[in-house]
Amino acid sequence: MNDVKVMRSLKPVYNKALILSRLGYDKYRTTLPDKTMREIESLIKDTENTLNITAAYRIIGIKHINSPQIILEDGTTLSGKRLSKLLENSRQALIMGATGGAKIMELIAGLQEEGKMSEAVVIDAAASEITDSALDFVMAMVEQYLRPKGKFLTKMRFSPGYGDFDILQQKEFYRLLKAQDLGIILNEACLLIPEKSVFAIAGIC
Amino acid sequence: MTKKEFKKLFQNRLILLDGGMGTLLQKAGMPSGVCPEKWATLESDLIKEIQRKYIEAGSDIIYTFTFGANPIKLSEYGIEDETYNLNKTLAEIARDAAGNDALVAGDISSCGSLLYPFGSVMFEEAVEGFKKQVKGLLDGGVDLFVIETMMDLQEARAALIAINESCDLPVMVTLTFEGQRTLMGSDPLSALVTLQSLGADAVGCNCSGGPAEMVDIIKKMKPYAKVPLIAKPNAGKPRLENGVTVYDMDSESFASYTEDLVAAGVNALGGCCGTTPEYIRRIREVTNTMKPVKIKRKPYSLACSNRKTAEIHDTLSFAVIGERLNPTGKKFLKDALLRGNMDVVSDIAREQVEAGAMLLDVNAGVPGIDEKETLKAMVNEVCNSVPAPVLIDTSNPEALEAALRIYPGRAIVNSISGESKKIEALLPITKKYGAMFVLLPVDDNGVPETAEERIEIIKRVYAKAREFGFGKEDILVDGLVMTIASNPSGALETLKVISWCKKIYRINTTIGLSNVSFGLPSRENINAAFLAMAVANGLTSAILNPNNQQMMQCVKASDALAARDKSGILYIEYCSDISRELDKTPGKPEKQQETVLKSLYDAIINGDGDAAEELAKQALISGKMPKKIIDKEMIPAIQKVGDLYEQKQYFLPQLIRGAEAMEKAMAVLVPELGKGNEGSMESKGTIVIATVKGDVHDIGKNILAMLLRNHGFDVIDLGKDVESRRIIDAAKVKNADIIALSALMTTTMNQMPQVMSDMKRENLSCHMMVGGAVVDRSFAESFGAYYSNDAYSAVKLATEIIKRNKNGG
Repeated sequence: MNDVKVMRSLKPVYNKALILSRLGYDKYRTTLPDKTMREIESLIKDTENTLNITAAYRIIGIKHINSPQIILEDGTTLSGKRLSKLLENSRQALIMGATGGAKIMELIAGLQEEGKMSEAVVIDAAASEITDSALDFVMAMVEQYLRPKGKFLTKMRFSPGYGDFDILQQKEFYRLLKAQDLGIILNEACLLIPEKSVFAIAGIC
Repeated sequence: MTKKEFKKLFQNRLILLDGGMGTLLQKAGMPSGVCPEKWATLESDLIKEIQRKYIEAGSDIIYTFTFGANPIKLSEYGIEDETYNLNKTLAEIARDAAGNDALVAGDISSCGSLLYPFGSVMFEEAVEGFKKQVKGLLDGGVDLFVIETMMDLQEARAALIAINESCDLPVMVTLTFEGQRTLMGSDPLSALVTLQSLGADAVGCNCSGGPAEMVDIIKKMKPYAKVPLIAKPNAGKPRLENGVTVYDMDSESFASYTEDLVAAGVNALGGCCGTTPEYIRRIREVTNTMKPVKIKRKPYSLACSNRKTAEIHDTLSFAVIGERLNPTGKKFLKDALLRGNMDVVSDIAREQVEAGAMLLDVNAGVPGIDEKETLKAMVNEVCNSVPAPVLIDTSNPEALEAALRIYPGRAIVNSISGESKKIEALLPITKKYGAMFVLLPVDDNGVPETAEERIEIIKRVYAKAREFGFGKEDILVDGLVMTIASNPSGALETLKVISWCKKIYRINTTIGLSNVSFGLPSRENINAAFLAMAVANGLTSAILNPNNQQMMQCVKASDALAARDKSGILYIEYCSDISRELDKTPGKPEKQQETVLKSLYDAIINGDGDAAEELAKQALISGKMPKKIIDKEMIPAIQKVGDLYEQKQYFLPQLIRGAEAMEKAMAVLVPELGKGNEGSMESKGTIVIATVKGDVHDIGKNILAMLLRNHGFDVIDLGKDVESRRIIDAAKVKNADIIALSALMTTTMNQMPQVMSDMKRENLSCHMMVGGAVVDRSFAESFGAYYSNDAYSAVKLATEIIKRNKNGG
């Protein structure tokens, strides 16, 4: 039951407003000419076409929670007060990850080298948001499998690096998801490469 | 039960299905972590009791408890070998519970893994798995089948094909939608069109949210539905209450949506997660006096992918079918297909859809190629790249079946002619997979010259198609375009066929357009004129090159003229798109000096780099001094961009575009500085900038470097993942005023105080400013650095630091 499930070539549904919001768009104050909006939409489309999203997840039992420590059934220890609170009603956890692949980072770097920084910044934001949406996809899919069993997921998910959930814990996610098989590298500073990669955890209630 | 009996069941009657089972079994003490189906076989009395309660509450059809009893799902528990026995036993339990009081539907759901290309389960593996389940359910005595809670239309197809290839029993299929799409992106109409044409006897939705959101799904399906529609919602959303899962809606509020669902066009109702026999009893009370509504079905021809439906009719916008995915005469495509390079296929597919194609013709006809495998790969690639439905362009039955089998929508077969061998080979395959087809009026005697002869063939092929259950809406008649260079009246004969199809036979039409002009000069003129004439005669679609602007203009204009584009809205929209394309507005050379300078200012404000570059050149030509241009126009312009950004009237891309426009104009002006007598630009200061060691995120740092240059700083950009030593050395050599550092992660931000400490050790007198996602003011101040929270405020901060320095602060 603990196998990692991998999904490839995903095209998750994403929220364009969240991409604009990452770029500082304020719907009450920012004035965006139609032409600029069309150009941005076209760049978002390019992002979609260039991203090659792979996602993976596994469900793992929670053995014990003694805030801030969470001990999973395989002995993995995670630490975070807010995470402990999130998982307080959960007997299992959903460990998940997604990566947008190397090609998108090449595109962003190439645009920067050509001096097309405004294009690079839009694609960078779109790639982050769409990759993150792959985790929404994973959660919705897993929830669908859980529903007939009367189970559901916590509304929130946490990623290492937020609050007191230390980024160094990316190492545990990397191991649990066998992320090397997804084409992700973890560097010495616990950064994920390609940069558009993300891990997260949610609780199963 | 036969399909006919099933259909009759719904005449003037609302059918009630059952409610939740898994959630009830949990309450009844089913242990967590067990295989529910296996556990159920050991608790047959409990299962039977719940199923009896549903029948007593009013269910006409109960489901077997075999939701997850397929071998792929069962393999998670290591009991895939028990697939047949589990299904048979659970079907017998339901059969026993139902007696003669209700029908038993053999329940099939997802295998729990995504199908290829998204997951590792191959389509045929899924079909074979479902067949094992079907066999057990059949031997257990089910009356019909239900495929439910599918989030992937393709997986629902696999299960439906498995049942259709195993028996003739009726099949109901319900998908689960998150809002108005399944998780894999299918909308209600595409799901309906795909499933009803593939032979589902009832279609609908189950699980997901509560009944309210299903009203819209049923409304969207109803005008196109040939089969009864089903709604089987959850009792709202689940939540934990004192450690127990409870649902939002009680039976009364759940049943209160029944009227809305019936008004939307539902024919069968039930409940899913969180519902109980009490919920069904409530619905029965409400529906006792209700009858299903009848809504007139739209007469359109419907082809779809898993994400989009193309509606074809002579009252709707003309359907453009992209012709470019055909290797005939395209060496680059031929070579790509021979090499198995499918990137070219996705590029061509995207180009055509962006240019306005509603459907795409896909042809793998390359001599010496494995047509079956290539066609399959092309169809897969197109599906994953664009939502447009496809025409599968082949007369090879084996290749056709392979492509239709894996196509996750309703394709159009291009084409079936009156040639007896083709009819015999292609019609049954087309019917089996529920596809539409293009009827080519050619027979064993060859290509008929006259319209009358073609019409006879059309009638003959249609009569044969009717025997297989095709209707006129399932067919597009090819008007058969002949080249006028060799047959001067050929075009007129085609128009006669099109006109007869519209006025007399009431059937939709298509043509392969470009044939008409073969051998003639300026072929586009002939093609466009013929297309307009054909549309006037009622043509509903054409296979053409959507990248050809003349052709697309003709399509849009013809639609407006034929009143198929009401009020010409689409035409106007199309024309404004074209004019925007053509609207490249660099400043005109004859502009007066002041206008040029004002335009340069505006170009920077508007982030129009090309115009800024051109206007900077014009300003020089007109005799303006470069330093004056920069000081009087460009710096105020970029400052204005910054102000707009600070007021949030601009967002980041606009700020950067302003900076890019400034850079382009500066590239023109800077080489000219110092050539006159106005002196050169004075640097505001020198800044060494880097992303710290271990950190690879550099886009924020790059934005800042550009903005700093814009504002007159000398910037030494050391890149990302930079050692402290390099930063210190560069600052020393360049006599930097400021070191600017960026870090995005908590693991790398500690490099910043390290650089500060090295800086002090080396007695560098410069300042340090820091920024990045995880850095904040208190962290920066803890080691004596300045902090800014975004690139623009960093520019202001740098300006302030330099100013203070100069004033001895």
